[in-house]
Amino acid sequence: MTNITTEKLKTRFPDAVLGVESFKGETTVTLKADSLLETARFLRDDPDLQYNLLLDVYGMDRHRLGLSPRFAAQYELFSIPKNRRIRLNVPIAGPQAGNGALPKIDSVTGVWPTANWLERETYDLMGIEFAGHPWLHRIMMPRNWVGHPLRKDYPLGGEPVNFSFDKDNPRFAHLGKQIMAGPSFHSELAEEMDEEGHLIINMGPQHPATHGVLRLAVELDGERVVKIQPELGYLHSGFEKIGENRRYEQFIPYCDRLDYLAPMSNNLGYVMTVERLLDVDVPQQAQYARILLVELQRIASHLVWLGTHAMDVSGTIHALLMYAFNWREKILDIFEMVCGARMTTSYFCVGGLRWPLPGAFQDAVRHFLTGFYPDGINEFEGMITNNPIWKSRLQEVGYLSAEQAIALGVTGPMLRGSGLAFDLRKAQPYSGYDRFDFDVPTSDRGDSYGRYLVRMEEMRQSVRIVEQVLNKLKPGGPHKTSDRKVVLPPREEISTSMEALIHHFKLVTEGFKPPKGQVYGLIENPKGILGFGVVSDGSAVPHRLRMRWPSFVNLQATDTMARGGLLSDIVTIIGSIDIVLGEVDR
Amino acid sequence: MEPIITWLANLLANVSWWPWPAPPSAAIIIWVVYGLFIAFGIAPLAMIVLTWLERKIIARIQDRIGPNMAGPFGWLQAVADAIKMLTKEDTTPAGADRIPFNLGPGLIAVSAVLVFAVIPLAPGIIGSDLNIGIFYVVAVGSFGVLGTLMAGWSSNNKYALLGAFRAVAQLVSYEIPMAISLITVAVVAGSMSTLTIIHNQAVANGGWYIVAMPITFLVFFLAGMAETNRSPFDLLEADSEIVAGFHVEYSGMKYAMVMIGEYVHMLALAGLSATIFLGGWRGPFVEQLYNAVPILGGLLGLVYFLAKVLLFIFVMMWFRGTLPRFRIDQLLDFGWKFLTPLSLFNLLTSAFVVKLFQPAGTAGVALPAGPLAGFGGLGLTSALLISNLLVAFIASLAVRSLARRSRGNVLKAVAGVEG
Amino acid sequence: MPVDYLPILILILVAAAFAVIALVVPFYLGPRNPTKVKSDTYESGKLPYGDARRQVPVHYYMVAMLFMMFDIEVVFLYPWAVIFRQLKVFGLLEMGVFIAILLTGYIYIWKKGALEWN
Repeated sequence: MTNITTEKLKTRFPDAVLGVESFKGETTVTLKADSLLETARFLRDDPDLQYNLLLDVYGMDRHRLGLSPRFAAQYELFSIPKNRRIRLNVPIAGPQAGNGALPKIDSVTGVWPTANWLERETYDLMGIEFAGHPWLHRIMMPRNWVGHPLRKDYPLGGEPVNFSFDKDNPRFAHLGKQIMAGPSFHSELAEEMDEEGHLIINMGPQHPATHGVLRLAVELDGERVVKIQPELGYLHSGFEKIGENRRYEQFIPYCDRLDYLAPMSNNLGYVMTVERLLDVDVPQQAQYARILLVELQRIASHLVWLGTHAMDVSGTIHALLMYAFNWREKILDIFEMVCGARMTTSYFCVGGLRWPLPGAFQDAVRHFLTGFYPDGINEFEGMITNNPIWKSRLQEVGYLSAEQAIALGVTGPMLRGSGLAFDLRKAQPYSGYDRFDFDVPTSDRGDSYGRYLVRMEEMRQSVRIVEQVLNKLKPGGPHKTSDRKVVLPPREEISTSMEALIHHFKLVTEGFKPPKGQVYGLIENPKGILGFGVVSDGSAVPHRLRMRWPSFVNLQATDTMARGGLLSDIVTIIGSIDIVLGEVDR
Repeated sequence: MEPIITWLANLLANVSWWPWPAPPSAAIIIWVVYGLFIAFGIAPLAMIVLTWLERKIIARIQDRIGPNMAGPFGWLQAVADAIKMLTKEDTTPAGADRIPFNLGPGLIAVSAVLVFAVIPLAPGIIGSDLNIGIFYVVAVGSFGVLGTLMAGWSSNNKYALLGAFRAVAQLVSYEIPMAISLITVAVVAGSMSTLTIIHNQAVANGGWYIVAMPITFLVFFLAGMAETNRSPFDLLEADSEIVAGFHVEYSGMKYAMVMIGEYVHMLALAGLSATIFLGGWRGPFVEQLYNAVPILGGLLGLVYFLAKVLLFIFVMMWFRGTLPRFRIDQLLDFGWKFLTPLSLFNLLTSAFVVKLFQPAGTAGVALPAGPLAGFGGLGLTSALLISNLLVAFIASLAVRSLARRSRGNVLKAVAGVEG
Repeated sequence: MPVDYLPILILILVAAAFAVIALVVPFYLGPRNPTKVKSDTYESGKLPYGDARRQVPVHYYMVAMLFMMFDIEVVFLYPWAVIFRQLKVFGLLEMGVFIAILLTGYIYIWKKGALEWN
């Protein structure tokens, strides 16, 4: 095996590397916990490696895998210049149970600032303490929550949770012991916030421009933003925990509800990850159909972004929102035609498409394209691209240099808006993207206007891809793999073949069982890089299901971008990040 | 009390020489009726009709239908809303300063209503033809700021507080260009009385001022939109930033009063623009008909006036439907760095042109004729138009050259220079 | 003429009456059951951080000061505008000088950065 990364690591830190493992094309390096920081710096700074993008940090409870020590922290690294990936697996010794002392590991926030929230989340949900973290507080669960939900010994339900405001009401007396202490309480503010001299104001969760239940504690000097502290978790529903208690194929509908503006893309990301774990071959035509639908989804997601962004910035041009939603409506009609659902599609299944494409599908897409491109997009552009007020509201607002963006782990159109042409569809093509011709739009501006231009151009490029796919798409042919271990056999086969009946029975009652191992699949979602980490213990239920959602990581950049701006700029910046609270809080 | 009563008594005693052919008591009754008509008629009507109109127009711009359930074309929707507002529970936030909190909306509405005293609705129908007419408008309009400030400050709410800060900054800044453009009108018209201004816009006297002074009109209209807190200058309530700004804590009828204030203000701005720049009730056949059958002439004048008012109101709603909102620093920049110097230069050049073209006449003292008075009203109009366009051209050049050097992006945006 | 202002006075009284009626009538028409939660200050659905009524930095005071300066200038302009036609060329020149002085101050404060709100 000639992996330059592992070779270099082994020669440089012979004592630190405990083991190197390769599975399904992914390399995992197991490291000693106390040498994590110097290894991390080496990985980032070495000119041959340049792992500048930290994609994900997550904890593993290896309780049931029979590994010791029980906890491990995992780091997904990506080198944009070298286009390489590696996973660091760092087992953590220390207290292994109980709610008191937590296992402890060094924080890598000094190396990759993006680790800040990811480590907070790991601390919150898995109970791993990160020494040297600037502000290690719970991020998803309430401040006074007891326990760490993603640990395997955490009870799965049945305990009373009192969400009533009215806790003195005798009607709620039966709820008995309360996990949450008070009706409404203040979360702590970061120490550097000046509560005396400055105005500290809540934006959200009930605010027109926070796109849901995001809450920002904003420190204002007059109207100038001094610091923003985002508060998440209002919509937290424990999707990772759900995923670890569902069979692989049962999690697909849950994906729809995360980034609910891009269910197709989420499905594809998850399905591709599981397919890689299972080594399933997806038929060519199904791959094409997937690309087509995902690109339509990208257009739809960007249309919602455009409408809501314009509405946030202006407050009153809902017109653009209505026009954008009109076009999105037509895309949703196509989705409805394909799978019966408009938003919660769940159309992709492990091994292909759930149903074959309907006959009128291609005509419907063509019909949409003729109206939308170029007239539809040009209409939007004509309304705002050169509008002086729009420009003055977006230009020089929320500046993020490419270095800052990478350090903060920002991906997707935001990274490209900072001038870096990094797109997974080009860098590590999946599902056959390499067969299609398209450009990766970038903008050197780095401000909200640059991100606006990038997204508008991305819609055009998506149209380009869709047009090419349409020409290659042929009706008929298999829409699913023929691997009977993964997909159900067709109806007529069940009544004639005993083997098919057994497959059917096994799949329905038990589900498929992937081999033991760990994969981490990436996909370029409309909002950025979406990652699914799946750890299989050989059963039909994933042992660990980790998700990296782009909105969550991108949102972290709010403070950096908004500092020194005005209160109004926050709204522009939130809009230009394009968050969906469903995937931020998950 | 004594001096006030004496003053009132003197006033009533003086009424006998009021030029109307009615006895003083009848004059007072007429004024009271007219006051009732304005306060209890126009104000709620403005709220009801304009909200309905706005919802319909904005809906059309947005590719929607708008209210269509209550009554034909949904016009009863606004009435239903009004009834709802009347019967809503009125909440006062804990810690609010009750007196200014209750006084604020009233003040906002009253200040807007008072403007109508000097707007002629039709020939012969005006509250009072003050000789300081447009000065009165500025004076009355500016105490609406107080109501806004009181509302924002007393709510004990940080969003309201931010709204109040913005209110002071914005309303106060745009009062300057608005006042200067009104002074320009006064210089050209030679009077601040609204009736005289309408009289001077007869075709024989040079026609509508919007033709003669497009820049003055633009400055006035934009500043007026900022004063009335209309989009794209609606920063006081900026719903996507500070939620509803100064009136975030208001509910029920107090909220409705704030809205009445806004819509009556809007109507007043449209009425003023129509009066000052589009010749008010002036139109074909009005004067002839008024001289023959006063009632019919008055009605025709009212129709013309309303048409002009609706035109401006439509423009305001159109702006709201299509333009994004300014940011506060850009708004102040636009006011202080663009509108204020523009209006000042425009005042000077207009005064110069008037000096050249002014006709001879008498107004107490003899008025000297300008050297070019022989060209008449049309000459004045075309000269003013040329000077206005010249000012606009020079301003655009200045803005361009400044924008290239300035860091701020508003001037760049105004000049269309790429940032 | 003071009598011209009598309609204004009447209008003020009538408008004030309208405001008072509009604010008092709903007091009897609408329900009244204030609760603690209902009368909480709105701050996007959370309990507010501290009180809104305290010392806060307001950076718009510069605008207010500039307004004072310009408003006084504008007050001088009103009477000038009305009798402008009676004045000879000297009136125009004098106001030109007046405005020029003001513009000098205006350019000065612009250069000094008082008009930079950032």
